[in-house]
Formats: sequence, structure tokens, C-alpha cells
Amino acid sequence: MAMRKKGSHKILYSIFGWTVVLLISFPLLWMILTSLKPQSELFLIPPGLLPNEITFEHYVRLIQETPFLTYLKNSIILAVGTTVVVVVIATLGAHSLVRFSYPGRKSLAVLVLYTYLLPSVVLIIPLYLLMVKVGLSNTLVSLIIAYTTFALPFALWLLRSFMAAIPADLEAAAMVDGATRMQAFFDVILPQAIPGIISTALFTAILAWNEYLFAMVLINNDEVRPLTTGIMSMLVSSFNIEWSLLMAASVMMSVPLIIVFAFLQKYLTRGFGAGAIKG
Amino acid sequence: MTDTSLGIHIECVSKSFDDVLAVDTLDLEIRKGEFVSILGPSGCGKTTLLRMLAGLEQPSKGTISIDGAVVNDLPPSKRNIAMVFQTYALYPHMTVAANIEYPLKKRRTPKADRTRLVHEVAAVLQLEQLLQRKPRELSGGQQQRVALGRALVRDPAVFLLDEPLSNLDAKLRAHMRAELILLHRRIGRTMVYVTHDQLEAMTMSDRIAVLCDGTLQQFEAPNDIYSRPRNKFVAGFIGTPSMNLIEGRLSGTGDDRVFRSGDWTLPIRDLALTGETANGIQDVPVTVGFRPEDILLGDTGDEARVTVVEPAGHEVIVVCRFHGHDILLRVSPDIRLRPDDRVRLTPKVDKLHVFSEPDGRRINDDLPK
Repeated sequence: MAMRKKGSHKILYSIFGWTVVLLISFPLLWMILTSLKPQSELFLIPPGLLPNEITFEHYVRLIQETPFLTYLKNSIILAVGTTVVVVVIATLGAHSLVRFSYPGRKSLAVLVLYTYLLPSVVLIIPLYLLMVKVGLSNTLVSLIIAYTTFALPFALWLLRSFMAAIPADLEAAAMVDGATRMQAFFDVILPQAIPGIISTALFTAILAWNEYLFAMVLINNDEVRPLTTGIMSMLVSSFNIEWSLLMAASVMMSVPLIIVFAFLQKYLTRGFGAGAIKG
Repeated sequence: MTDTSLGIHIECVSKSFDDVLAVDTLDLEIRKGEFVSILGPSGCGKTTLLRMLAGLEQPSKGTISIDGAVVNDLPPSKRNIAMVFQTYALYPHMTVAANIEYPLKKRRTPKADRTRLVHEVAAVLQLEQLLQRKPRELSGGQQQRVALGRALVRDPAVFLLDEPLSNLDAKLRAHMRAELILLHRRIGRTMVYVTHDQLEAMTMSDRIAVLCDGTLQQFEAPNDIYSRPRNKFVAGFIGTPSMNLIEGRLSGTGDDRVFRSGDWTLPIRDLALTGETANGIQDVPVTVGFRPEDILLGDTGDEARVTVVEPAGHEVIVVCRFHGHDILLRVSPDIRLRPDDRVRLTPKVDKLHVFSEPDGRRINDDLPK
């Protein structure tokens, strides 16, 4: 009896779970399906779920006739650049916050969190003016710096909880064994922090990949536009929306993220855990 | 005696963290090749002292020298010391072999020598079968041996051991204790062993440094510490079950000298006292101590009521109510006592320890130099 009850519970949970998954993933599914439909099927009434005829013409047009590849390149540079800058600074910073003792260490950690609480909107205009002043406006570097302002505090806090979980004795042992502090960090601490570093890198890369607001305000040149604003500006105008191309571009924009996710998913969930419990 | 410049010299060393004084003007001289335990309750500063020897903490004051050279400003890597941590601190991402090899790598030992030394140490510690395992795949005792191996492999001048046995179960602990003694005898290196377990300190050490609240209480051979504790703290801390300590007053001189506590009067004319008390100052506050095994049970003496009987196989620990004090008694299991039995007992006067109050200093018999 109890067993059967348990079994039926399981089925109910599964039905509920899959319903939620379907609801959430429907727009994504629709995006993929639309990108594969020929132009003629787009506005059929009633709309068909599956395309009658599958076509890749939109993808070909996207790559051959639009600056999509330039945008893609820019987005990759942005994501990788921001991730490298943020992860390097956050790893060293988190280690310092956890292991060293110096005046103001705790208040520094809290201050960093406060900057994260600041809405990005209030930073945009000052940052824009700053970039113009130092001659970095309309460059990818300006965006990397801008993304770092909001990605770094979060990364620092995430890594801080990972670093705190690494026993201090390990570093001490390495130093007694003959390592300098830097060697101890690279030989012993870094390998222990790899899961944390990977999940922090993922969070940062996703933030940079999806960022829209800063890219719109700080970049005014097609050569350095990332995918987010690039797709919008080339396919959405006041008169016309190129739905097929837009959907194809959206699919292409999601694919890199999905691939990265598939490989590193286990680290990401571990990162969520660390943030939730110890952060 | 060996050359006095060799070994470890700790002079007037203090260490404070913010407002807390962890180690207070400590002097300690450890001879080369000696096995010294630093013993004390939790928070007495013993681990801080060890970490200062290792170079992981900087003394706030004073100097530390190893083999004649002041090492205060040397980083841990330059001190030629090895340390075994309470948590073992094995590098989790490295194999056993890589763990043991790590200190050699940092010293740029050639690869061929490294491999040979790792295998030699592994043979000594019976780790050969485990060399390719990761630390998490080992039992506590095996991890302990790897930690020892990592310390042994580079033949340091000094071994620092921070409660290395406290994470092992009782049986393994006894085994490792014996192994460590053998190891020390074989390699003859200076070992400084931090522990809160007096059994470990008593059984393994050449000398024990007893620490309390960051100050050195006594630094002598285990037997001397047991038979002539220098103060009340050491008297109460060393020995299981601990010494009976009873506060009272000392009065009279020569043959008339007695100890009084409440309605209990104990004549102690045979006791040799030192300092002013020897000159027969009337009525001074003291504490007398006697070990549970230094009590005569018989027809004479004052009456006591048995309250608790704790049989431990080879001996029985009996708690008695004696003139308003709970005192402990160690008797042979042949003497069958039950709660509420009446017994008559007298502490052996020649085994009595007398401490002055309120400073708790020992004031009887020959104080060791």
C-alpha cells in the first residue's frame, strides 16, 4: 500500500515537473521551430507547430548577408575577456580576503557587496563619460571594464565561500614543505579552488554574453557591437521585424552557451550550492 | 651533554593576537635530538608556539633560534623544519607518492633521487602499496603515515608535530605512539610534539614543557614532573585521575607542625619545607596535594565515606567523602568497596605536595634545579 502510494506520488511529481519544463521551454522550442520554417509558413492561421518543410535558408542568409559573424566574434571576445579579468582578480582577491589579516578586511568585503547592490543604471552615464574621457568609447575594452564592475563583486563573494572551505593547514603545509606563498597558492590552493573557479567563470561568461544595457549605451559602432545589441539593431526596425532571421540568430546565440553548459553543468550547480550555504 | 648552541632556543618569546596574549615571555631550550612534548589544556598557546617555530606565525617579541641561527625573519621554507599537522594537511589532488615527493620538488632535488627517497620512506612507513592512491582513499592511520612520510623524506633538522594522533582511534593511537618512539630513536632528530594528551607526553618524551595560559609552568622529564610538580596547576593537570588538592592552613614549627583544613588535622613534622615557611611562620594558607595512589587505607587515620566506585580492571578508582572534600583513591581490585562503606585513610606524608597560597608555588622538598 505504502509502496503504491509512493509510486503514484512519483508519477504526479513527474507530470508536474514536466509540465513546468514544457511551459518554460516552449518559447525556446518556438524559437527553434520558427527559425526552421520557410517565410511562407510564418504567419499561417491557424499556426502550425511543426514546420511542413524544414529550411536552413535563414541561417545561410544570416551568415552570408549580415554582420552576424562580426557580432559573434565580439561577443566571444567580450565573454572571454571579461571572464579572464574577473576570474583572475576575484581568485586572488578572495584568497586575500579569506587568508590574510589586515585592517579593514571585513569592511572591504562588505563594501564590495554594496557595490553589487548598486543598480547598473546609475553607473551607465558616469561610465560613459569616463570612457569618452580616457578615449575608450566604442571599444570592446570599455565594455569589458563595464562588465567587470558588476561581475567582479559577485565573483568575489562566490569565490570567497569556496576559498573559505579550503583548509588553511594545506597552505601552511606547503610553505613548511618549502614553497613560497605564491607557490603554495598555485600548487595547493588553486587546484582545490578549480570547481569554484569554473562556476565563477561560467557565471561571469553568461553575464557578459547576455548583457544588453551597457552594450547599447557604450557602443555606437557596428564593428564592435556584441550579439545582443547587434541582432536588435540589424533585424528590428520601426517598420519591420525580420522574424525568421531574428529566430535563427537567437538560436545561434544560444548554442555556444548550451554547449558550455552541457560540459560544465556539474560545476555550476556546485557553485549554486556554495553560494547558497556559505555565501 | 651536547653543544648548547645546537637545538632550539626560545628566548622571551611573546605572541599576541589583537588583545589576546597567546604566549607570554616564554623561555625554552630544546637540545638537539631531544623529544620534547608541549603539553597543556586547549587554548594554552601550545599550537601558537609550534607555529612560531615553524615560521607560520611571527613572534610579537623575543627570538627563536635553531642550531645557533636566529630564524625570526626566515620564512617556513628556509628553516629546515618539517611539520605534521593535526589534520594531516595532505594535498588532496596529489597521489601519496606526489605528496611525499612535494618537499623534495620544492628543494629541486633531481628526479632520480626523488624517486629513490620516496620509495625509501614508503618502505619505512609501509606505504609502498599505497603510493598511487589519493589521500581520500586512505584510512586515518594511513593518512597519518603519509603525513609523517612527507616530513621524513627530506631529513629536516627539526620535526614539529601538532597533535598528530588525536584523530585516530584509541588502538591505532597506541600503535602509532610506539612507532613514533621507534622512529625518533632511529633517526635521532629533534622532535617537538604538541599534545593535550598527558599519556602521549608521558610515554614518548625526554622532557615535557607544561604550558598554561601562554606561560611555561614546568619543563622537565616526565617522572620529575609527576613526582615533583612545581606548582598547583601542574599538580592538578598531570596524572589521571588527578591529584587530590585540599586547601587549608599550615602552622607550628618542627615537630609541632600541622596542616589543618576544617576539622581535619594532619601532622606533617617530617616534611622539609623551603623558603620562609621553613622558618616556622605561623598559620600560612597552603594547599596540600596527594595522588590517589599515595593514600594509606587501614585501621588508623580519619574516617571517610565511599560515594562512588569505578572499577577499571587492573585498578579501582574510589571517590570518598573526607572531611567535606571529595577525594580520589586508587586501590587494587582485591579491596572490595561499595558505596556508603566507611574507611579510614591517611595520605602518605612523605608523598605529600605542599603549595603556598595564593601563588600556588611548591614549597616542600628538594625543588629540582
